[in-house]
Amino acid sequence: MDTLLTADLAAKAPNFRDRRKSSTYVDAIHDLPEKESMAPAQLYSTESGRLFHSGRIVIATVGLPARGKTHTSVALARYLRWLGVKTHIFHLGDYRREFLGSDAAVPEDYFHVNASTQSVLLRNKVIQRCRQDILRFLNHENGQIAIYDAVNPLATGRRALAKEFEKQNVHTMFIESHCTDERIIEENVRSVKISSPDYKGPGWTPDKAVRDYLDRINKKIPHFESMEAGEEASYVKLINAGERVVVNNCSHNYLLNRIVFYLLNLHIKSRQIYFCRAGTTRDEDSYKADASLSTEGESYSRKMGDALVAHRESELQALVAAGAPESTALKPLTVWTSTRRRTVETAEYLASLGYRVRQRSQMSQLNPGVCEKMSERKIRQQFPEEVAKHQQDPYHHRYPRAESYHDLAVRLEPIILELEREQNDVLIIAHESVLRVLYGYLLACSAADIPNLSFPRDEIIEIIPASYNNESKRIHIPGLPQKIVPASPEDIKIPVPQSGAVSPMSGLGTPQQGSGARTPEPAAKESGGLPLRNPGGAPPADPKS
Amino acid sequence: MPPAVPPPTSVPQGPIEDGDQYRPQLGRAPQGDFMRPTGRTLRAGSEARANGVGVQAEDTRICVVMVGLPARGKSLIAQKVVRYLGWLSITAKCFNVGSYRRTNTPNPSASFFDTSNKEGERLRMAAAEEAVKDMVKWFQSPDNLIAILDATNSTKTRRRWIKDRCDAEGIETLFVESKCDQEDLIMANIKEVKLTSPDYEGQDPEEAAQDFRQRITMYERVYETLDEDESDMTYCKIINVGSQVIINRIQDYLQSRVVYYLMNLHIKPRSIWISRHGESEYNLSGQIGGDADLSARGQQYAKMLPDLVSKSAGDLPLTVWTSTLKRTAQTARHLPYEKLSWKALDELDSGVCDGLTYADIEEKYPQDFKARDEDKYNYRYLGGESYRDVVIRLEPIIMELERSENILIVTHQAVLRCIYAYFMGSSQEKSPWMEVPLHCLIKLTPRAYKTEEERMVANVPAVSTWREKGSAAVHAEATPNPSAMGTPVIKPEEKA
Repeated sequence: MDTLLTADLAAKAPNFRDRRKSSTYVDAIHDLPEKESMAPAQLYSTESGRLFHSGRIVIATVGLPARGKTHTSVALARYLRWLGVKTHIFHLGDYRREFLGSDAAVPEDYFHVNASTQSVLLRNKVIQRCRQDILRFLNHENGQIAIYDAVNPLATGRRALAKEFEKQNVHTMFIESHCTDERIIEENVRSVKISSPDYKGPGWTPDKAVRDYLDRINKKIPHFESMEAGEEASYVKLINAGERVVVNNCSHNYLLNRIVFYLLNLHIKSRQIYFCRAGTTRDEDSYKADASLSTEGESYSRKMGDALVAHRESELQALVAAGAPESTALKPLTVWTSTRRRTVETAEYLASLGYRVRQRSQMSQLNPGVCEKMSERKIRQQFPEEVAKHQQDPYHHRYPRAESYHDLAVRLEPIILELEREQNDVLIIAHESVLRVLYGYLLACSAADIPNLSFPRDEIIEIIPASYNNESKRIHIPGLPQKIVPASPEDIKIPVPQSGAVSPMSGLGTPQQGSGARTPEPAAKESGGLPLRNPGGAPPADPKS
Repeated sequence: MPPAVPPPTSVPQGPIEDGDQYRPQLGRAPQGDFMRPTGRTLRAGSEARANGVGVQAEDTRICVVMVGLPARGKSLIAQKVVRYLGWLSITAKCFNVGSYRRTNTPNPSASFFDTSNKEGERLRMAAAEEAVKDMVKWFQSPDNLIAILDATNSTKTRRRWIKDRCDAEGIETLFVESKCDQEDLIMANIKEVKLTSPDYEGQDPEEAAQDFRQRITMYERVYETLDEDESDMTYCKIINVGSQVIINRIQDYLQSRVVYYLMNLHIKPRSIWISRHGESEYNLSGQIGGDADLSARGQQYAKMLPDLVSKSAGDLPLTVWTSTLKRTAQTARHLPYEKLSWKALDELDSGVCDGLTYADIEEKYPQDFKARDEDKYNYRYLGGESYRDVVIRLEPIIMELERSENILIVTHQAVLRCIYAYFMGSSQEKSPWMEVPLHCLIKLTPRAYKTEEERMVANVPAVSTWREKGSAAVHAEATPNPSAMGTPVIKPEEKA
């Protein structure tokens, strides 16, 4: 009951608990990394895999359904993993469904204080199993933070929980999502909860569904105690989606403070994020010269803008067709560019249509250092040792005077937090290297995969952040000349391992059909879906050679 | 810049005076300015004009307004925020209303602060107006991002006035209240203030303390804490040194970053001791980097260190932090305290130059050698790190250091310079050149108006590893006179 969306997704993925790897465009946030690999923006590493200045922590959510608990849990896990903290989410609802079967109804009194013996037994069994898994993760799998996503409605239950973990030398911090503003709850229910099959059918208007859902919650969970100042526990109370935040007894721990910092930037409203490349420039290969768009680049910017606007319009139509009221409007779209001329100019067409454009200096591309303007062959000739090192670890290796992807990820942290903060839809126009890193954050890609993500110019990537996991979609930009489509020519050309290299993601070694320019969607779904650049195939054609 | 102030011989006054500001050298910064906010990145229309498009990056200018009774650590917090932001390349400046007021009434008695004293009231309002006016003027320069208005700002009327003034100028406000009712902490702060506040310069400490307590009573009568009436404002209310923090309506990333830092602060009096490792075999041969053992003299320093520390710290409980390299662990091994080793405290990674001498580097990589001299802060060794990189990796250490009490750090030259720069507010231009001799223990004590520094030199000779800007590789025997070089120049002081 706590999250119908979770139920929905769990039902679609039958072997939910055994599923260690996501398959398609869905992000990998619920997967346990198979091997210990350094996280995208880790500042330093330790042998145990735990940051040293914090012990093991359970973060337990508190709050009634539809307050954004799952969203907060997942977003937090995404950020912590990004920082290199081994984090895993345990949704209590998943465990309950496992015991009950995904289609069975939850007993009416399951959440009641004075439930029947049968329900209490079931409840205890579910909780027991979930906590066992949490402790196993923390004690035996080098986990540092376990996020325990549950309602945790009663003060006594919370105290007992903290005490139980304390015995194992694990600190507990609670995060309560508290809403005093009914509109936020209703919007949340409307956007994520009533997409459930229960509310499909002619009899249900959205308003009616929202009311029914809230009624059901109130009957199901009649007793709920908010966190109060008297409680000794460490807690963070997020009031009205972060408008006000109360932090209690958290000051003794680095990670807890860091978490609060992140939560200050988080909101629970839904919006869309789009990625696209900048147009081609006149002085094609130069990083240092801040060149203007070529004629083709300008034409690209118009075609891209039109494709995006048309896509958003069709999404809206689809929404209305699916029963949304006529008055439904699109969220405002803001365009973010770097301060480089080509990205700013690519946004000009959209600016002329009235979209707001903001420039962010951190979003300038990976600095290619001495490799700028060099062909792949020349780089191999001049820096054979660097090439060898790069092939071993393309994520962390820096060419002379260059930035590594890791450097880029660290410098993009403010952008990531501002992206979380942004309430409007956002289009990011940036260099491919920047898109790779941001995509890697949003879809929880491993550091090893990030340098190989590919963003052909004829596609806009749409990322749909959702509570349980993010999804990405590709929007084709029609009518572009083939020669401007392939992956970034101004990039360092080495990073592609020679064919036969082992891909860390199962199924990614499958060569794609066609020229490799645009991933055909069905094929991508079968083969693992990350937009990898020429996985296992030949290196991209060098336009200069 | 503050460090340029010629230091007195013994307890040298730390850098931050009221109204000082840090102007980090941004010109040559690489494109990845760490943590730099996204607003105002286009300085003085340079790139904006060059881009030839009408899109301007938005301005994010924040006025952090301190709120709270006297002796709640407001000035300490304000100064720390300025230093922290400067360290991260964000230009900030503190406007202390008290120092504006002091131009007219240098040593006021408590009755000056009585709200029924009309003249006092008028003068204090005038000082506030003056400070805000200067602040608004300061914000006209596009590099200036965060101002801190340090005053009690204890009434709702005053706060509303500040907010309205800032709103009219397009400056965001972030109110920061330090609310504390722990008697011992307040007393410690009163003691601190009466020792260091310019208001009580040259007065009898006992009388000063009493007058100060009376002044607090005057404020208590009219003090209004931030509450529901001000729920439209952006604020951060820190209750009893962080046991509870209430954060209201944070508007952007930069504000959240400031709040994050504030949450890690405490205002309890404490000191930090830092030392380089004892002389190593590599120091003797003039090589940089590596993971060498201590030399015989280095080991002698390690033996003397416990004594040196206890002379300075007494019986205070200390925790020792070392890097993961052998020479720091060996230096700390005789210390009778709990020890922690941190990867983040490891020496600046000199990449391909690891294990070379400066002379080797000059010969093998002449261009690099020169480039490093030109911009040492941003210069990154081939395959290694720059000072900027070290600052980034030290950020968690700084946060941890802010949350801890008495800490002794045994680390390496470059890392020590970065930590020192954080506490003393040294500029990015100068801090990489600062001289820190081997076999010298530095004690830093953060105070409300400055960070105090004391140096204790162990009587064990060591080579000098310091190289002056533009000079060839020196490799001198014996500790040279540090007052002739480096910055901030502080004479070593032999403590009996």
